[in-house]
Amino acid sequence: MRTPAYRAFAACLVALAAGSPAYAAGGMPQLDFRDFAPQLVWLAIAFAVLYLVMSRIAVPAIADTLDKRQAKIQGDLDAAEKANDATRSLVTAYEKRLADAREEARRLQRERAEADSAETTARLTALGERLGAEITAAEKRIAGQRTQVLAGLEQMAGEVAQDVYAKLAGQPADKGALGAKIADAVKGSSR
Amino acid sequence: MHSPMEQFEIKRLLSLKIGGLDASYTNSALWMTIAVILATVVFVVGMRQRALVPGRLQSVAELGYEFIAGMVRDNVGNAGKQYFPFILTLFVFILFCNVLGMVPYSFTPTSHIVVTFAMAAVVFLGVTVIGFVRHGAHFLSLFVPKGVPFVLLLLLVPIEIISYFIRPFSLSIRLFANMLAGHTMLKVFGGFVVMLGVLGGWAPLAFIVAFTGLELLIAFLQAYVFAILTCLYLNDAIHLHH
Repeated sequence: MRTPAYRAFAACLVALAAGSPAYAAGGMPQLDFRDFAPQLVWLAIAFAVLYLVMSRIAVPAIADTLDKRQAKIQGDLDAAEKANDATRSLVTAYEKRLADAREEARRLQRERAEADSAETTARLTALGERLGAEITAAEKRIAGQRTQVLAGLEQMAGEVAQDVYAKLAGQPADKGALGAKIADAVKGSSR
Repeated sequence: MHSPMEQFEIKRLLSLKIGGLDASYTNSALWMTIAVILATVVFVVGMRQRALVPGRLQSVAELGYEFIAGMVRDNVGNAGKQYFPFILTLFVFILFCNVLGMVPYSFTPTSHIVVTFAMAAVVFLGVTVIGFVRHGAHFLSLFVPKGVPFVLLLLLVPIEIISYFIRPFSLSIRLFANMLAGHTMLKVFGGFVVMLGVLGGWAPLAFIVAFTGLELLIAFLQAYVFAILTCLYLNDAIHLHH
């Protein structure tokens, strides 16, 4: 790219050195001085118009749009970040409530189990007491009956003993002495 | 057979005179006008909706804006912001003139040294004025490289001064010569196609097709180079970096 540049530059210099408009006109249209003024005038006009269009309309419009886009992207990012934070705190709250509920459930279960066991104990105690009372009553009854039976037995043994004595001795027995002996025997056997 | 230079001839479409000054509306002015109108279509009509999600034309306008905005930011910094519209205009104007020049039968205003030199001279003078306004006489320190022995300065300062004053020439000739060489080359090879006819004309035709692609790249590249060199010169004037 540089070589043609310098070749063209050399060509310009040669043409300028020759200094003849005829040569310039015949060789390179670029060196025709009569064409310089109109090109420069319209270059100035075109460039000035484009500069005004760019600096007054295009650049502010594009800068504004880019700023707005940047702001929008930043705003969206911020909103997303905020939403993310909110979600995270919601999840934390949810997990806390879940843990609380679990803890509560465990506590209720434990209390229930404790209450159940206390009731069972109470019922067992009551049952034991009742059974104890019944057993005591039964024992009392049995003791009473035994006394009764024993009394009956004593009497019956006395009668049997008198009869046996009368038959063996041929005379009635001494009731008092016989009774005492029988009572002793009954007492001894009942022990 | 036309001369390959014929395509660069200035034709007066409308003769005008302003106080003895020839201000005729020429084919060059016509294509400058078309470039300005097309640039306005892209940058004003394209931006009319100011959509948050841009359409095709708006994307092009924003792409151009951000391309040059990034260039100014990277090469000049924040101080370059106020010159951004000028550099954007410069880039867009040169780009549209260059690319429109690739349309067959069109005219390329940037293939004329007077046009490119006028733009380069405005850049050169503007940058110099900005430098003096910002730094006063201290701006001359641009020509004195730092940390160089005095003896070497005797050599370096004239070189720096010469290279500074060469800027408008290198800037304008680079653009003009690229446009001139490219279009001349296309015309010459177009002539070969006609000369070699149906039998042999295919080779230069294939070359023209490939070369047109390269020329489109150069059309963009030269607009880019002009804009970025303007940024670098501006940076020199604002920051006195070297």
